[in-house]
Amino acid sequence: MMALIYGEQGRWDSASAEEREAVYARYRAFADEARGAGVMVGGDELAATRDATTVRVRDGESLVTDGPYAEVKEALGGYFVFEVDTMDQALDFAAKIPGAEHGAIEVRPIYVDPEEGQL
Amino acid sequence: MKYALLIHSDQEAWSDFDDDEKAQLRAEQMPRWMALFEELGKADENVSGYELDEASKAKVVRVRNGERLVTDGPFAETKEVIGGVFLTDLPDLDEAIRLASLIPSAENGSIEIRPIAG
Repeated sequence: MMALIYGEQGRWDSASAEEREAVYARYRAFADEARGAGVMVGGDELAATRDATTVRVRDGESLVTDGPYAEVKEALGGYFVFEVDTMDQALDFAAKIPGAEHGAIEVRPIYVDPEEGQL
Repeated sequence: MKYALLIHSDQEAWSDFDDDEKAQLRAEQMPRWMALFEELGKADENVSGYELDEASKAKVVRVRNGERLVTDGPFAETKEVIGGVFLTDLPDLDEAIRLASLIPSAENGSIEIRPIAG
């Protein structure tokens, strides 16, 4: 399962160094807990959407634009991948992600091709 | 530099197909994906990727005042939603752009390149 963490970039931009460190500490504690439970596969924090580049190919031509796919108030800021058996179990962990308290966590099953497996 | 290549694609169109049609489309597109995996592997031998299941299978969880709120469906209300992601370590943004434009979904969707923080 992938847990996609959506939150307000402005909130993070305006946080002080101490506030950010406190948030990182909570994320580390969460990651330790998920690792301890044997469900943590990985996760990353993404740079701000202002550092994004979007690529589209139309009629064989690459169109490159600065910025994210869509300008939204709450943007994808990071993700975790959990190895769990059920959606309920994934939701239990997702609800413990600090970002769930002011943003939103989308939990999506990862598609596994029955024959191909994963990349 | 580490980059996440976020694949935004039109899942509504995809969910209109039945299982046989999906299997056929997958088979048709597979050579292009295999070619992409080869290119990605050449650029970063530790590349990883995830294909996400249909957005209709998503749930969104929020915690407000200690209470858990769960809703069905994806977070984004856009027509295109994230359908997959590649995680890569590449020399520069130009290489990320080159690889992003090789992703078959770039032709009808959008690939968002985001540096990975830290």
